[in-house]
Amino acid sequence: MKEFLPKRIWQWFERTRVGRSIFRVGLPQSNLERAQAMVSSFLLHMQPAKVNRHSLRASYSFGLGLISLYLFLILTFTGVLLMFYYVPSTDHAYNVMKDLQFVVSAGLIMRNMHRWAAHLMVIFVLLHMCRVFYTGAYKRPREFNWVLGVGLFLLTLGLSFTGYLLPWDQLAYWAITVGTNIAAYAPYIGPELKYVMLGGNAVGQEALIRFYALHVIVLPAIAGFLIAVHIWRVRKDGGLSRPDEAGDTVQQVELSQLPTSKTYGLMELARGTTPQVGRNPEDEVFAWPHLIFRELLLFLLVVAAVLFLAVFWNAPLEELANPVHPPNPAKAPWYFLGLQELVSYSAFWGGVVVPGVLVLALVLLPYLDHNRKGVGRWFARDRVVANTIFTVCLVIAIVLTIIGTLFRGPNWSWQEPWKKPPAVTESH
Amino acid sequence: MTKDSLRKFYVWFTVLGLLVGGLVVLGYYRDEDREWKDYQRKYAQEEIRRASNPQQRALAERIPIQIRQILLPDLNRVDRCTTCHLAVDDPSYGGYPQPLAYHPLHEQHPVEKFGCTVCHRGQGRATTAADAHGNVPHWDDAMLPLKYIQASCGKCHQAADNPGAPELARGQQVFEESGCRGCHKLAGVGGLIGPELDKVGARRSPGWLKEHFLSPGTVTPGSGMPPQKFSEPDLDAITLFMLSQVGETTPGYYASMKVIPGVAAGQRLFQEKGCIGCHSIAGKGGTIGPALDDVGSRRSPEWMMQHFREPQAVTSGTVMPKFGFTEEEARALTDFLVHLHEQNVASSLPSAMNPVERGHEVYRNYGCAGCHGPEGKGGVPNPNAKTAQLVPDLIHVADGYTNDELKERILKGQREITPLDPNRPQPPLYMPAWGGIIKDAQVDDLVAYLMSLKPKGEESGF
Repeated sequence: MKEFLPKRIWQWFERTRVGRSIFRVGLPQSNLERAQAMVSSFLLHMQPAKVNRHSLRASYSFGLGLISLYLFLILTFTGVLLMFYYVPSTDHAYNVMKDLQFVVSAGLIMRNMHRWAAHLMVIFVLLHMCRVFYTGAYKRPREFNWVLGVGLFLLTLGLSFTGYLLPWDQLAYWAITVGTNIAAYAPYIGPELKYVMLGGNAVGQEALIRFYALHVIVLPAIAGFLIAVHIWRVRKDGGLSRPDEAGDTVQQVELSQLPTSKTYGLMELARGTTPQVGRNPEDEVFAWPHLIFRELLLFLLVVAAVLFLAVFWNAPLEELANPVHPPNPAKAPWYFLGLQELVSYSAFWGGVVVPGVLVLALVLLPYLDHNRKGVGRWFARDRVVANTIFTVCLVIAIVLTIIGTLFRGPNWSWQEPWKKPPAVTESH
Repeated sequence: MTKDSLRKFYVWFTVLGLLVGGLVVLGYYRDEDREWKDYQRKYAQEEIRRASNPQQRALAERIPIQIRQILLPDLNRVDRCTTCHLAVDDPSYGGYPQPLAYHPLHEQHPVEKFGCTVCHRGQGRATTAADAHGNVPHWDDAMLPLKYIQASCGKCHQAADNPGAPELARGQQVFEESGCRGCHKLAGVGGLIGPELDKVGARRSPGWLKEHFLSPGTVTPGSGMPPQKFSEPDLDAITLFMLSQVGETTPGYYASMKVIPGVAAGQRLFQEKGCIGCHSIAGKGGTIGPALDDVGSRRSPEWMMQHFREPQAVTSGTVMPKFGFTEEEARALTDFLVHLHEQNVASSLPSAMNPVERGHEVYRNYGCAGCHGPEGKGGVPNPNAKTAQLVPDLIHVADGYTNDELKERILKGQREITPLDPNRPQPPLYMPAWGGIIKDAQVDDLVAYLMSLKPKGEESGF
C-alpha cells in the first residue's frame, strides 16, 4: 500500500542532515520510538508517553479544556497583530478600529477572530468547569487544580472585560461604566476599587490605559503562567480523572515509605502523586499518535470554527464613546448581565453577597465535598446532592443572564425581544 | 497500531486542513475584494482611453490601485473619499457621472488642504460608499444633502459676510427674526427654556429639524415649543442654519479665512473696532480723525491698505493706532470705505440710533419676538397659562409698569407662570432672567422701546 504523500515528504525531510539535527527521533515506527518521540521533544514531553484509553474518549472530556487553551492561543496570536495597530488613547483608539476595517489588510478579520474567540473562551471555560464538576474530577488528588481552574475562569472574565473597553465605542464605554459601577457596590472597598480600576471617578483616558496594560500584559502573563501550572498539574495528579474500573489508578507515593537500601531514579523520588505508567498495559495506548493526533485535529477544528465566525460575522462597533449620551438601557458585557439583573433587584445582595458567596463556594468546593465517590463518571448517582445544587445555581445564572441580555429594555423594564421597544421620550 | 486507524487520522487531517485552508482563502478573498478597487480600475481604463500619445498611455497604465487619502491633522480628519472620487481636482472630468466627477469651486477650496468631509460630512475614514456616505447604523454624521451644503460654510465664514452662501445668511436672518433666541441659547446669547443650539447641527438630521419646526411635539413629546409657520423657503433656510451649528471651530489656516473681504465684513469691523470714536460718517461720530464720507474719492485703495497696515507710513505723526489688522481685515475695511458713498450705512451705525431704536434692536437680537410676537404685538400659545393660555403681548406695559419695575422684570424673569388650572401641567414657557445676558445699558434701551409700544393716543386702560 502506498504511503500517505505528506508522510513520505516528511520521512524524506527527517533523513536529511537538517531534519536529523532538529528531530532526534524521526516519525516513530516502533513502540520504542513512540515513547522516545514523546520524551525527547520539548513540546511533547509535557504529555505522558502513554495515556489511558478512558482519557481519549471524546464523550468524557469533550476536549473542553483543550479548546479553551487553543482559544487562548488564537487570542494571543490575533491580539499581538492587533497591538501592532492599536493606540490606547481616547483620541485614536476608535479611529484605529475604523482603519482596521477599511484599510488594514485582514485587519477586520483579525479583530473579528479576536472578538469571537474571546466570547467563545468565556463559554468554553465555563463548560469546562461544568464538565469537571459533573464528573467529580475536582476530588482528591485534584483539589488544588480545581482552585487554579476557578482562578483561570475569573482571569478569563477579567481579560474579556478589560478588552471590552479598548475599541472605545459607545458599547465599550457604557458596558465598562456599568460593570465598574457593579464593582463599586462592594462594602467599604467598593468605591475605592472602582477608583483604582478606572484611575478616576469615570471612564476616561486613565481607565483606557489601565485596561490596556491589564489586557495585554498583566492578565495574559498571569493567565499563561496559571495555564502552564494547570496543565502540569493535570499530569502530576495522574492524568484526566477516570473511574476505578478504568484501571491504572493513581498511586500515592510517600518518600518516608520507600526502602532506604536502594538507589532511586529521579522519577521514583518525585513526591506526591504520580501516574503509574504501564501498570495495566491493556488500558494504555501510546500518546503518539492516539493523543497527539487527536489534539492536533481538535486544534484545526477550533481554528476552522473561529475563522468561520470571523469571515461571516463582523465584531460590533458602535458610535464613538460619548460620555454625555448614555444608551438606554446601558448594559454590561453579556457574561455580567446576570449580575446586572441581580443588581437591579438589590445592589448589595446582587452585586456583592451573591457573587461573593458563589466565588468563595467554588474555590472551597473540593475541600467542602467529603464524598469521595463518583469520580470519572458523568452525573454519578453517588453525587446526586452536589449535582442538584450545582445545576440549580447554573440554571439560575443562565436564566438571569438571558433575562438581562434579551428581556431588558429602556430603564431596565421588562421587554420581550420580539416586541418593538416603546418610543423613548427624549429629554432635551 | 494498525494502518487503518492511522488512515482514519489522515483522512481527518485532510478534511480539516482543507476546511481551514478554504476558510483562509475565503477570508483573503473577501478582504481583497473591495469596491473601491473597481472604481480605480474604471478610472485607469478611462485614463488609458483618453491617452492621446504613447507616453500618456504608459503613464495611465502605471496608475497604481491603492488607497488614496488626505491627512488633515489640523481638522482632525483623514479623508479617503478620493480613493473612489479620483478626479475631483481634474476639470477635464467635469460632467462625468459619480464617482469620477470633477468638483467645482476647487480653486478656493483645494481638496489637498480641505479634504471633503469638513464640508460634506460623512465618514472620511471609510472606503465603501455606504459607510463613507454615512447612512449606516452607528454613524451619526451622514453626508449633508447638497441642498444644505452651505451650512458648512459657516464653520469658517461668518454667515452674513459670505457672498457665496446666501442661503446661510438667509437662514440666520430667519433665525433672528423668528425670535428663536428667546428660548434657545446660541453662541452664549439666548434664553434657557429650550435646549442650547450650539451643536444642534451635529446632533440632528435635516428631516428631524424640519419636523421639529412644524410640529415640535411629534419629535419631542412634551415639548413646549410653539409650532412655527414657516414658508417652505424659510423652513429650508432655517434648517440649513441649524445644520451649520456644529460647535466645531476650525483652527489655524482655516480660521484665518474667517473674514471674506467685502463690504459687510468691513462694516462689521468698522463698528467692532470703534472707528466711529475718532472718525465720523454723515456727521455722526468723533472729530479726532477726519470725516470719512468722501474718503473713497480722496484716497486710493492702496493708500487705505497701507494706512491700515502702518498708519505712520502714510501719514507721518498721525495719532491713529496700529490695530494689527490681518490682510483680509484690511481689505474688508478698504472695500467698505471705497463703497461708502453707495450705501446708507450711517443710519445703521449704533451711535446714530436713539434709545427706542436701539431697544428695538435689542428686542430683535435677544429673541423676545419668539414669545411676545414681532413688535410685542401678541404672544404665542402657552398652554394652561392664566393669561388666556398665551404669552402676554407687550404693547401695554407702559400702563402696568414703571421703568424700574419693567427693568427688574426683564433682569429677574418669572420662573413660575400662574396656571389657569392648577391640576394641569405647568405652562411650558416662562420669562427667563436676562440679567447677566443683556447688558445693563441695553436693558435700559429695551425698556425705552417697550414703553414706546403703547399705541399713540390711546388712554390708559386702568
